[in-house]
Amino acid sequence: MKREWFALGIVALLVIVFPASLFGYQAWRTNSSDARVIDVIASSPENGGWSPDEIRVNVGEHVRLRIAAPDVVHGFEIPALDVRVDEILPGHVQEVEFVATRAGRFPFACTRWCSVNHWRMRGVIWVSDPAQPALPAPTFAPPLYQQLRIDIDAMHPAQNIPPRKPSAARGAQLNLRVDADFRTQSPDAVFAKLRADAAYDAYDDQQLWDAIAFAYFQNVGAENIANGARRYARDCAACHGERGDGQGPAGKDLPGLTTMHPDMPRGPANFTDASAMLGASDALLQGKILRGGMGTGMPEWGSLYTDADLWSVVAFLRTFTFDDPPAP
Amino acid sequence: MNSPRFELTRIPLFKRVVTSRWVPWLFMALTLPIFLLAILTGLFGTPAGSRNFGIIFVWIVWWALVILVMVPFAGRLWCAICPIPAPGEWLQRRALIQPRAGGKLFTLGWKWSPRLNNIWLQNISFLAVALFSAVILTTPFVSALVLLAFAALALGVSLLFERRVFCRYLCPVGGFIGLYAQLAPVEVRVKDAALCRTHTDKTCYRGSDDGYGCPWMVFPAALDKNTYCGLCSECLKTCPLDNMGVFLRVPGKDLQTTKGRRLDEAYKAFIMLTCALAYSIVLLGPWAALKETAYAVGAPAWFVYAIIFLAANLAIVPGIFLACAWLTRKISLHKFSLRRTFTEYAYVLAPLGLAAWAAFSLSFVLINFSYAWQVLSDPFGWGWDLFGTANWTWTPYFAGLQSFLQIPILLAGLIAAIGMALRTAHTQGVPSRAALPIVAFCAAFTMVLLWLYV
Repeated sequence: MKREWFALGIVALLVIVFPASLFGYQAWRTNSSDARVIDVIASSPENGGWSPDEIRVNVGEHVRLRIAAPDVVHGFEIPALDVRVDEILPGHVQEVEFVATRAGRFPFACTRWCSVNHWRMRGVIWVSDPAQPALPAPTFAPPLYQQLRIDIDAMHPAQNIPPRKPSAARGAQLNLRVDADFRTQSPDAVFAKLRADAAYDAYDDQQLWDAIAFAYFQNVGAENIANGARRYARDCAACHGERGDGQGPAGKDLPGLTTMHPDMPRGPANFTDASAMLGASDALLQGKILRGGMGTGMPEWGSLYTDADLWSVVAFLRTFTFDDPPAP
Repeated sequence: MNSPRFELTRIPLFKRVVTSRWVPWLFMALTLPIFLLAILTGLFGTPAGSRNFGIIFVWIVWWALVILVMVPFAGRLWCAICPIPAPGEWLQRRALIQPRAGGKLFTLGWKWSPRLNNIWLQNISFLAVALFSAVILTTPFVSALVLLAFAALALGVSLLFERRVFCRYLCPVGGFIGLYAQLAPVEVRVKDAALCRTHTDKTCYRGSDDGYGCPWMVFPAALDKNTYCGLCSECLKTCPLDNMGVFLRVPGKDLQTTKGRRLDEAYKAFIMLTCALAYSIVLLGPWAALKETAYAVGAPAWFVYAIIFLAANLAIVPGIFLACAWLTRKISLHKFSLRRTFTEYAYVLAPLGLAAWAAFSLSFVLINFSYAWQVLSDPFGWGWDLFGTANWTWTPYFAGLQSFLQIPILLAGLIAAIGMALRTAHTQGVPSRAALPIVAFCAAFTMVLLWLYV
């Protein structure tokens, strides 16, 4: 009988104490850390997206996110809190720590093209201030396209098309001053204004377009264009194509503008289309990026991008219709 | 039948080990917490399969151990140390070590239906697991639920029925281990059949104060194939005449005779063969859409996949083999019925199937084994590093050797299958050429696998 009790004791030890010690070790590890550990699973949207997709933390709380990717490569970013993990390889766990210093509702998103529905892979971090439980009311001005009452779903074709693709390099050599508000005015509108001005009669149409290209790039600056290029490569190129021609592999099956204009070709916008791009002001383009495409397949980026990010992407988009942007 | 054999139990130390009541308990006591850990990590650990102990240790380490080592070299050895039936068996016996007087078991004593005295349920349970394998093998939570279901079923069945009904009739793994155990170079057999005939108590089957009646419900005195011998060694303990032994033998000896070949076991051979081919195509092939379909359980395309998968296992491959058997029967001048020809030749597929599974398993075991070091240090994927191996990088082992190992294994399986087909023809007393259609089937199957792997 003693042998039976011994054997039973060993089995009990192995099947009860052994697992209990594993969980105990994990509990000790978690409690001995000064950070609050939150496990997050990053799966493609088809497989459930973020889990959890809502995270609640407190202002000043030391948070450690442990992000596991069971399926494909993902990235993670909370733009407003400047928290990011560039790469979470499948089967790996990446940790990132942060302390939120202000209350609010902050979207987070995947930053790697994990699937055709990648852009749907988003979540929200709610940061509460225990001393002030109600979230502060958001303070922001309506976007510029709303202030200007631009219908961003309407077509705005340019009335004037340059003979050749405008070149900022050629424009620089003209030493021609162009005063224009490119945010509110389309390049086409700026051209029309210059053409109507007798002071520019000495310049032909192509020269005016070159001058506009140079003035535009001078106005937005090389740094903004470089920042826009990075965002574009990460977030836009998969659908709109590396060359901006709307031929990206992820955009092949998207309806595009046919949702609103059945006669338009399917697929993402083509930024090399001079008529569409020169007829659009920066405010219009910013509005489209900010709000998204209302059924076209274009995601909204307003909740993830800062204002500066939005304008920098618009600035980069102009490089598809204007040659020779300044090097950073 | 008088092929050479060597009695391992003549070695005193070996005999002492296999007749010890502590040894089976010791192995089960070791495998049980590992099994438990596989379930817990599946339920509570990371969903990333390659970082989860449950996935890596069950479907890579354990699988490699079973299909590449235990089954080919020791038959049902895994069944002797498997933790799944352990709790049920201990409860049946109300003892872990000591035998009960007369080998008495504590169950409701239900009798297993004679109609189910075959492995059709094992065929079905294996197919069910195989059908969902793309998910089960990669999703820790699902994998854990399946293991839990096995454990719960084994326990429940042990309380209702006598002995190891789960292992004998239900376990999806036990079915194919039994089929391929016939190829193993190890057997438990009677030393002297004449001596058994003088022993009327049949304690090897009924049990005695020294041990329990055969848990696998076979009559050890008449044991002539490994299919249902779980190597538990109870018969060695209960035989008062010391007439049972463990022997080294010629591999595949059980398949030298066509005696007792059955359709349910024949179908197990088809299912295993078809699954090895299907897995090679779906999981290892370059057709990503096919793999995604197998994974997308419940999607319309998955139902098409499921129908094709089941049809291939139950109708298409057996159907092609039936056509070969029909030709074989025609060449042998209709000496036997088509059913008998089909069934008896189907066992030829045992060495072919084991070789196919070994080749298939090598392709992912060598590539993925290094994940084992990571999950050993961090079984739940919680960021632990118990043994300093959690961050060891993934390293394929002997990847360049893979084809060099797979080709001889597949060819060895083919040669053994051809040998068996010819032997079957001889046993049936028909000309060797009658086996040609079966040989062609085996050769074609091997060629397809070689094309896939090389």
